[in-house]
Amino acid sequence: MTRRQFIPLAGIAATASYASIKLQKPPKLPDGPAGNSAVAIVRARSYSEDLVSRMLQGARECGLDARGKRVLLKPNLVEFESSTVINTDATIIAAAVELFHRLGAAEVRIGEGPGHRRDTLDLADDARYRYTIPQFDSIFTDLNRDDVSPVTGFANERKFYFPNTVLGADLIVSLAKMKTHHWAGATLSMKNLFGLVPGAIYGWPKNKLHYIGIPQSVAALSRHFRNTFAIVDGVVGMEGNGPIQGTPKPAGVLVMGRDLVAVDSTCCRIMGIDPEKVEYLRLAADLGHVHPGRIEQRGESIASVQTNFALIEEFSGLRLA
Amino acid sequence: MLALHGTAGSQAGLHRAWKLVRSWQTPDGSSRPSGQVEGGTWITAHTVTLASVRGVYDDQVRRSVDWMLSVVGAEHNMLMRTAAFFHLLKTTLDVSHAGWPWREGNAAWIEPTVHTLVALKKVRAEYRSSELESRVREGEAMVLSRRCTDGGWNCGNPGVLNFDLPSYPETTGLALVGLQGRSAAELAGPLAVARRFRQETKSSLAKAWLTIALRCHGDHPAELPGENKVPTDVMLAALEALGHPDGNYRLFGTGGVA
Repeated sequence: MTRRQFIPLAGIAATASYASIKLQKPPKLPDGPAGNSAVAIVRARSYSEDLVSRMLQGARECGLDARGKRVLLKPNLVEFESSTVINTDATIIAAAVELFHRLGAAEVRIGEGPGHRRDTLDLADDARYRYTIPQFDSIFTDLNRDDVSPVTGFANERKFYFPNTVLGADLIVSLAKMKTHHWAGATLSMKNLFGLVPGAIYGWPKNKLHYIGIPQSVAALSRHFRNTFAIVDGVVGMEGNGPIQGTPKPAGVLVMGRDLVAVDSTCCRIMGIDPEKVEYLRLAADLGHVHPGRIEQRGESIASVQTNFALIEEFSGLRLA
Repeated sequence: MLALHGTAGSQAGLHRAWKLVRSWQTPDGSSRPSGQVEGGTWITAHTVTLASVRGVYDDQVRRSVDWMLSVVGAEHNMLMRTAAFFHLLKTTLDVSHAGWPWREGNAAWIEPTVHTLVALKKVRAEYRSSELESRVREGEAMVLSRRCTDGGWNCGNPGVLNFDLPSYPETTGLALVGLQGRSAAELAGPLAVARRFRQETKSSLAKAWLTIALRCHGDHPAELPGENKVPTDVMLAALEALGHPDGNYRLFGTGGVA
């Protein structure tokens, strides 16, 4: 059979299989843990608002207790392009540092291990972290090059290495950006945990996670790191071809909560994405709540802030009905 | 260790460091990145380059070379090549050429491929084999095939879902270090991109790799404003020292045309 003959036949076969998959009802999600999860949606129309007060409001609504804890803030610092909004805004991180000091944390550090770029401090410079966040250099750890220790039981790996700064934290705060993602559909507080994996061991990009599977790795990271809290920067998110080449999309919100699955599900609904169709959320549905009936929405309602994020064709099927 | 090689007063310290690095070799010939981590990685290429610089060509180095020759980026398998043939991949990767991964069992990327190319080219005279020459040719072809449409290189993925991805200054510098020996005509465009990146980038790390690359290709780039600021860490200090006009950038040199 020639390539010219094969391609149409393969196309027909692929279309038929795709159609049969689409017609099948996806398997029911697991019930998730006992009880409901609180997720706060806080309005913040611009980065010049009083973000610390907004975050304090959200933290209280979620019952966050950070007293005496060593807190690691994990922003989403990926690449820099002045024409778009790839990274968690510097003002959000500065406000989070202030928030956790006010909440009585014993220590507040910032850590990130970008997946593509080698020069993390230069990237932080471009993203204005070093100018906006007081004493940034002294509280920041490049997780790509931190000392590491092995853990067992991560994603069926015999041993997997994580930075000591991550393993030593009592509370990891995923300071994610609200973005679409060309592999995962959306990147929010759970996908942001990819930056905890050290590049010096696993490379740039962290290709080991791709071979485990992106949705599987996202779920595995959330399964392993349960001492987490999420603050998603949706003041200005990214739509279209995210997470790098998309376009800015103002949503005017911060989304906060202890249940990262519930936070990401809420973000998806705000973005006009059906969380039950996002594979990593399906895989992690035993860790937290996807179903809206099990999420106690605090602050603003989803309906009052919902704004459809443009999706690339590949993910048009994720659109919330 | 490369940056300090041959400098006054460094011999005893370098000897201790070399013994430590050698102690991290695993039974399969690969090298661990530290005493705390199990399993060999891309670091193996650096140990072979170091061995060559120190004139060490023993069985231990031979095993490292054999390990490098045995490792291929996982995307170069039959399934992926077949998928690429039928345009079923989401990326625009050319998977027909074998490069090297960060870790065995993963896909090949620019940086580990470049470090392995440098290492293999440096030891090719001592460990002559057609397999080594073939892998060098394939590795160079892989690097060339991953060039971005803007003329430089990123980690090694020029496009996803029909969208072009941009190149980065540091990986453009690295790619050119690995392509030493290719024809001047072939590299004229990438070298021009590297010169421009070196002028424009704020990243000290990128500047250092671009300087090393340009010097390895016979350029004599002028010092840039702010280039003398104190480096923020050991790796950067070493790379900047290597790229200095009197530095050891020549230790990345890999000789003539492949």
